Amino acid sequence: MEATSVAHNLGQGAELAGKYLTFSLGNEGYGVGILSVREIIGVMEITAVPHTPAYIKGVINLRGKVIPVLDLRLKFSMNHKEYDERTCVIVVEVQGQTTPVQVGMVVDSVSEVLNIAAAEVEPPPSLGSASETDNILGMAKVKGEVKILLDVDRVVGEGLLHQLAS
Amino acid sequence: MTDSHKPLPDLLDEVALKILMIEPGDLSIVGELLDLIDRLLPISAASDIPMVIQQMAVAFKGVLGQLIMGELADSAENYDLLGKCVSEMQESARKEGKPDEKIIEQFCLNMKKIGVSLPPSALIGTTNVVSAGSVGVEAGNDEIMSAEESAVTLPEVDLVQTQPSAEVWSIHESVPDFLQDTDLLAGFIEEAFEHLESIEVNVLELEQSPDDIEIINNIFRPFHTIKGVSGFLNLKTINRLAHATENLLDDVRNGKRAMDSAVIDIVLTVGDALKSMVVDIKGVLQNGPANYQDTDISGFLVHITQLQEGGSGVSPVEVISVPAPDLLLEVSEIDDPEESESLANEEAAAVAPSTPINVNKAAQVDASPKAPQLPASSASRPLADAGMKKIGASIKVDVEKLDALVNAVGELVIMQSLVRQNKLVSRIADAKLTKDFSQLTRITSELQRTAMSMRMVPIKQTFDKMIRLVRDLSKKSGKKVDLIMEGAETEIDRNMVESIYDPLVHMMRNSVDHGISTPAEREKCGKQETGTVSLRAYQKGGSMMIEIEDDGEGLNTLKIRKKAIERGLISESDNLSDFELNNLIFLPGFSTADAITDVSGRGVGMDVVKKAVEKLRGKVEVQSHSGKGSLCVIRLPLTLAIIDGIIVRVGSERYIIPTIAIQESMRPERTNYSTVHGRGENLLVRGELVPIIKLYEIFGVPSTYTDPCEAIVVVVENEGRRRALMVDELLGKEEVVIKNLGGIDVPGVAGGTILGDGRVGLILDLAGVISNKGL
Repeated sequence: MEATSVAHNLGQGAELAGKYLTFSLGNEGYGVGILSVREIIGVMEITAVPHTPAYIKGVINLRGKVIPVLDLRLKFSMNHKEYDERTCVIVVEVQGQTTPVQVGMVVDSVSEVLNIAAAEVEPPPSLGSASETDNILGMAKVKGEVKILLDVDRVVGEGLLHQLAS
Repeated sequence: MTDSHKPLPDLLDEVALKILMIEPGDLSIVGELLDLIDRLLPISAASDIPMVIQQMAVAFKGVLGQLIMGELADSAENYDLLGKCVSEMQESARKEGKPDEKIIEQFCLNMKKIGVSLPPSALIGTTNVVSAGSVGVEAGNDEIMSAEESAVTLPEVDLVQTQPSAEVWSIHESVPDFLQDTDLLAGFIEEAFEHLESIEVNVLELEQSPDDIEIINNIFRPFHTIKGVSGFLNLKTINRLAHATENLLDDVRNGKRAMDSAVIDIVLTVGDALKSMVVDIKGVLQNGPANYQDTDISGFLVHITQLQEGGSGVSPVEVISVPAPDLLLEVSEIDDPEESESLANEEAAAVAPSTPINVNKAAQVDASPKAPQLPASSASRPLADAGMKKIGASIKVDVEKLDALVNAVGELVIMQSLVRQNKLVSRIADAKLTKDFSQLTRITSELQRTAMSMRMVPIKQTFDKMIRLVRDLSKKSGKKVDLIMEGAETEIDRNMVESIYDPLVHMMRNSVDHGISTPAEREKCGKQETGTVSLRAYQKGGSMMIEIEDDGEGLNTLKIRKKAIERGLISESDNLSDFELNNLIFLPGFSTADAITDVSGRGVGMDVVKKAVEKLRGKVEVQSHSGKGSLCVIRLPLTLAIIDGIIVRVGSERYIIPTIAIQESMRPERTNYSTVHGRGENLLVRGELVPIIKLYEIFGVPSTYTDPCEAIVVVVENEGRRRALMVDELLGKEEVVIKNLGGIDVPGVAGGTILGDGRVGLILDLAGVISNKGL
């Protein structure tokens, strides 16, 4: 039992090794797989869309393309923070229902791209309710700091799908 | 959000449109219909579909099954009756699953006429109590099963359609061996459709000049190509059928046998059969080989061999010779010699409309042996050839690449205006800069125009299909009909081509079936015995116009008025103009089984046409002169990508309202404003009470005004419903490029667009806004 679980963790860690773009929300550090990141832009004017949950801030014009923008703080039920010059929108591409869709995620600030090794990754902690940690791939300890590795497809998928259901 | 959960009315609309498309002998559409109906059946239907409709669907499916098996006649009458059944289902759906007994009786009567006995009691029981569902289903099923068993009809053999059981599947379950190279196969499918299309066009042209070797070659070549490629890809049935037809055509080419109506008919039916086989293969590519069955083509092969041996009863003397439109005069001369005095006048009249025609074709289907070989038909050939060559010089581009280009160009235009409006830049008083800027503007707008036009295709393809339709319709009904087409080169958004086809067929059918009367009747009214249906397309003020005009009977306005009063659509005292009365035919529920046959197609209402056109953000109207004919005008936006909209402000938000739906805008007078129970707000607009929708309320945004009498209202009309939308301010009118919101789909919002300042504005979806008022 013990052995399989360790093996499982090792396997998972190996899968999760790679380059991550790290950013911060409040005091917490997060990371998203670099392969799903398309670009990072400053916050621009967002057009609100009615009848959507609060964490969907609305839509922006990304060089002629209209893309939705999620506020990650609100998505994770953290306190709202006024946008400032450090606030960024990370544009990620995830698989939509039929075609890939681009979605912006508002974060406090973008840090750096980190190379995370398999050994540095631990499975997500159990916080009692599964839904809280569902969109977390694992926890990485890098340079004495903990980075929460996000499953972007889940975060965005939940965001948009949940909105559709409501 | 998936297809299978479409709301019931939409599903029924689709069924109705499909029914319209069915031609006897073309069972592939019956198959599609079957798929649609399956979604209404008790097993798979969403629970919100009323039981009575599910039961009707069960009966409906039974009939379709029998049609496919050949137990019921594959005749136009039966499809007409089915169409009426669909109307009754639509009517029931409108009554929210509680139709009155009359409708049910009518439904059962129509079913009986087709040959399936269905006691009304089986359906009536299901109307009231939905919870008694499971019992009802059992009983209903048994009822229908026995009805199917007892159904006895004599299959009428349609002599015109020589297609021998093209869709009788041979039992052949093994995985088809052509699936090895799917890339090649996909390419073949696309090409095959093009080839088959060109075959059809050429065959119809051949009817006009049967001796033109060049046209025979044009038919021969695509068959040859299809034969070759299908052989290479191991598509054995297609290969054999194409090969046999090619041989037959080769005989014709070599003068071994004459080109006669029998050959033309077989080539057309083979073309149809090949098309349906290619569709099947496309299905296999998309959905896997599970349901693939080989088509039985033995009937065709026998028929073709007979023709080759000269064994068909058709003597080569009966050459079909159809005059080109330019030759209407000669035809009328032959047909009504008495009228020859008035010829001079008619000459002027008939020549005038035909001169500006780009590509015109007449599909007159009178195979009268009297009609002589008319040499002038070659005059229309160069025109058609020119059209062909133009198509050959085009290249295929991925739609996504096109969209990317259009996006980039749109962004370029916006950026340019942003740079130009930059405060520092605009302060520079330099003549050269100003000149350069205007040059830049010219280039970018040229670029934008070109990029937009790349999504456009000539409407010719769609129009060409109408030639066949009119040919078949008039042949069947024994009417003489000329189809005159103008402006086939007019370009239309390629995304619209498919969606406009069904409504066009419906309207053409109406014109031929009901507009034009039989030659004898026409003569009685003092008209030429050959009726004329004109199909025109042209651009007018940023819109694409399609007109269908016939010189037939016109609508019977009195009957329409009577019907409308009966249906409670208008009241006895309403004083409507003829124009308004005629356009009542587009209201839902107007045409039902017992409706006026003069204006109804297969018992399916014209409302499906209106809805289809409105989906494309267009409008449809009919004008009619009793006894002289009617004119249907469809107005469509030039492209689906651009919408002409009024930008309004609500608080700090800006929304775009499609201009086509806007009737007027005003600041309401206090005297015209009224409330119901202190809530439901209404505005008296030109004598009619129009409910007010406060945009700030339904969109939950803070607004400048909350009192309608201080704000502005925009009166809009959608699907016959008028509403007054309350906004803070009108900002202007603009043509905007529609973009989807990247995964967000909310009621009341059709999409987004990028406004002049680079920000995103939301485009209102009026249907959503109106129906979701409570949100």
